[in-house]
Amino acid sequence: MTRQEFKDYFNKGIVILDGATGTQLYKSGMPVEACPEKWAAENPEALISVQKRYVESGSDILYTFTMGGNAIKLSEYGLKPQTRELNKRLAEITKNAAAGKALVAGDISSCGILLEPYGEIGFEESVESYKEQVKGLFEGGVDLFVIETMLDIQETRAALIAIRELCDLPAMVTMTFEDGMRTLMGTDPVSALVTLQSLGADAVGCNCSSGPAEMVDILKAMKPYAKVPLIAKPNAGKPRLVDGNTVFNMDSDAFCSYAEALIGAGANALGGCCGTTPEYIKKLSETAGSFPAQKPVNTTFAMVSSNRQTLVIHRDKPLTIIGERLNPTGKKFLREALTQNNMDKVAQLAREQMEAGAGLLDVNAGVPGLDEKTVLVNMVQAVLDSVPLPLCLDSSSPEALEAALRIYPGRAVINSISGEEVKMEKILPLAAKYGAMFILLPIDDKGVPVTAEERIGVIKRVYDTAKSYGFSKEDILVDGVVMTVATGGQAAGETLKVLSWCTDNGFNTVVGLSNVSFGLPARENINAAFLAMAVAYGLSSAILNPNSQQLMDIKRASDVLKARDSNASEYIRYYSSQKSVGGQASQPAKKVKPTAFEAVLNGMGDEIADVVQADLDKGLSPKAIIDNSLIPAIQKVGELYEDKKYFLPQLIKGAEAMQKAMEELGPYLQKETEAGIEKKGTIVMATVKGDIHDIGKNIVVLLLRNYGFEVIDLGKDVPADRIIQAAKDNNADIIGLSALMTTTMTEMPKIARMAADAGLKVRIMVGGAVLDNEYARSFGAHYSKDAYSAVRLAESLLKS
Amino acid sequence: MENIRVLKGIRPSYNKSLILTRLGYKRGVTGFDEDFQRLLDSTIKRAENLCSLALAYRMVGIDENDNGAVRLEDGTVLSGKALSKMLSQSQKAVLMASTAGSHIMEEIRTLMDSGKASEAVIMDAAASEIADAGLDFLMGYIGTFLRRQGKALTKHRFSPGYGDFNIEQQAHFARLLDIKELGISMTDTCMLVPEKSVLAIAGIIEIKTD
Repeated sequence: MTRQEFKDYFNKGIVILDGATGTQLYKSGMPVEACPEKWAAENPEALISVQKRYVESGSDILYTFTMGGNAIKLSEYGLKPQTRELNKRLAEITKNAAAGKALVAGDISSCGILLEPYGEIGFEESVESYKEQVKGLFEGGVDLFVIETMLDIQETRAALIAIRELCDLPAMVTMTFEDGMRTLMGTDPVSALVTLQSLGADAVGCNCSSGPAEMVDILKAMKPYAKVPLIAKPNAGKPRLVDGNTVFNMDSDAFCSYAEALIGAGANALGGCCGTTPEYIKKLSETAGSFPAQKPVNTTFAMVSSNRQTLVIHRDKPLTIIGERLNPTGKKFLREALTQNNMDKVAQLAREQMEAGAGLLDVNAGVPGLDEKTVLVNMVQAVLDSVPLPLCLDSSSPEALEAALRIYPGRAVINSISGEEVKMEKILPLAAKYGAMFILLPIDDKGVPVTAEERIGVIKRVYDTAKSYGFSKEDILVDGVVMTVATGGQAAGETLKVLSWCTDNGFNTVVGLSNVSFGLPARENINAAFLAMAVAYGLSSAILNPNSQQLMDIKRASDVLKARDSNASEYIRYYSSQKSVGGQASQPAKKVKPTAFEAVLNGMGDEIADVVQADLDKGLSPKAIIDNSLIPAIQKVGELYEDKKYFLPQLIKGAEAMQKAMEELGPYLQKETEAGIEKKGTIVMATVKGDIHDIGKNIVVLLLRNYGFEVIDLGKDVPADRIIQAAKDNNADIIGLSALMTTTMTEMPKIARMAADAGLKVRIMVGGAVLDNEYARSFGAHYSKDAYSAVRLAESLLKS
Repeated sequence: MENIRVLKGIRPSYNKSLILTRLGYKRGVTGFDEDFQRLLDSTIKRAENLCSLALAYRMVGIDENDNGAVRLEDGTVLSGKALSKMLSQSQKAVLMASTAGSHIMEEIRTLMDSGKASEAVIMDAAASEIADAGLDFLMGYIGTFLRRQGKALTKHRFSPGYGDFNIEQQAHFARLLDIKELGISMTDTCMLVPEKSVLAIAGIIEIKTD
């Protein structure tokens, strides 16, 4: 079957796929511990029987029983050398079952081990493993392929690349989405669709994991961006516990009642996964067979994706910012980081640009003396690990680009392809093979054309060639070619003419903004003015530094003025959340300075020193501030915590503010020989020997100090004799102990005994996750459930 | 016994509200302002970046399960009545390990030492949640492959230290999962270092299709 024939086939009506086969074979006697593929190859009659029932039930396409037939998976059974033969045999068996009444799809799925950098399988190892399987299935005569039940977009790409590098048969791909509409590895339906359809999938969709109801939403999300048919192959509901057994409990009628909704959401093909049987497929065929085919949407959006996010670039949508900072040219710190293979810096720059508003990140690895291919791949991986943004791969090296495109788990943009012969010959095929978008740079072997007309000539020429590789306008961003205006002339005007022509002719555009001001002082002004003018001419995206507040302000304002930010909603959202946007009119109302009481109550640690100082300047004594403001405030914080109106971080923030206030008052108290907070008693605090979890104890220490206790904090993993000695030396009223584990809490009675033996008149209070009142009482100690109860407990112990 | 599988750098999805729950937040009662919301968001985001999740799992056969004693195929005996009950329908189980790594613990200590205890507790709760989300991820991952074999994982998992499944049995997990490969060590008192590490077991059960 050719890919065009596949397309035509799906245009005829709703295609019916098969249902679960493995579970049917288990019922036929397939042993649970057997390699399913080997058992089926040795027991063809069982497989043929199940698959014939699916054909009789109305399946248009049968899947071969080769889901676990890749070389890596088969190696678990010692069958790796037989990969090709086994797949060929199983394809032949299913062809036999189909008997010309159904198409046969060679079934490929995950190897069960994650790919690098998450797991142990290298990308190329995965591709090679799938290639062995693909060769066998191809030789067995499959009509098409299906890659199914995929959790990881990268492994899915490996399988699709394996198919595309070996043959030109159609390939359907379905991924498995969890609750929350993401694969377990975090890919959303649209990013999966964009990545896979651009890489050459002929149909995309979802199978397994969820029942039909959940799949309606997945298809609805995909449909507006789908250039290919969509597939839904749900389970018979979600597995549920019924009478102590785990079952799929959706019957065939209930299952098929979703057919109309799935088709309405955009499904072109329907089938069943776990828990379904020929009965389900028969009813599905009867229900869905009468519906007409769903037409793919003729989208003109330029779409790029990462493994976690899709970005739509379009001249009618808000201007896309392509962050320029991941380029070592002119950045010594980045050159040094790349030379030392320090990818932390790369990750940091990526995060900063995303937070500043970049939608796409340009990645350039050009450092003299370094292997660009290796550096680019490492940079891409580092960025993917730190941000979800799609990437623009900025290189003129075909080798570096192919290495990065091969492992990039989404749809990238190549920056750039020009009219130079070598670029068109070497890089256009790469863009086509990996389904990348590209920036069309209108220069050619003669250099940079001066006039807009000449540049438009190059654009037309490159586009004509690109069309022969299957590209259309939405796969291209045309670079307006920005030259500096410092040398005079009409450089900016020519770029604007190119942008205008592109917009009128349906191309999306990009500019490398900062070139325009090269050689001039106060470059930001020129850059900002040019950006606003370019947006007026329809600019779709700009490569710039998103950390520039001025440029980002212009971008947001221009989006509003060109009606690209619907109802100015993004503009309002952004500036409403800013404390100040500059300028008198937009200044928020001046905040009223809090009182010392309010500053502790609201945990305003950054402001309380000024507040306390202001009170002192007014003539209030330190003691008055403590007694009348700070202590009532920290008590109020405690009450709010007890009522659950505050939770733990708020309780602690109050204590931190209190502590800062006391630090501020310290010198005045000494000067005036005044007492600060009246000391309520002395407590020796420790996390017991063998226990290293001390965050809870540290919080108790912080609170006790703020509530007027003298605390001697011995730290964690503290031996019993040191605790007893400290209690003696400091004449402690209380020993406070924490332990998290059952293995360490046994130190506590030991310490209580030692204290009694030493004749210490000391109370013991304890806390920790595994403790309770009963345990504490068993050795005469007192238990508190959290930090604030520890304060209350300490107070009551001293009163009693 | 099947090989140990190691996964690194996974960023599992998780429910952020569970971080607040760990910190004592009560919906409809606890309240805070926008500044505090920003502090929460930025601290949780930093925690996500500082967690370098490493996961491991291994399938093990269950040879015997007799009222509180579960004997694994290598002879290891896990003791605990509730564990035994959870595994009563299982011939196999999966052992799992998850750690948020050491960077986040260093940052929590630094925050605590520099008087930013409020940020430290938020980060501590986030790290706990992310380490737990690592186990959720593993259960989802393994469950997907099991489903096509007509099997599933038990709804719940057990970790040493829960109920009568005492903490000392952490040593069995440490050995069977070779946790030092994940950068986890165990103290004499069976505590895991880095602290935001968790070990667990879940059973494999059959799914009935009719």
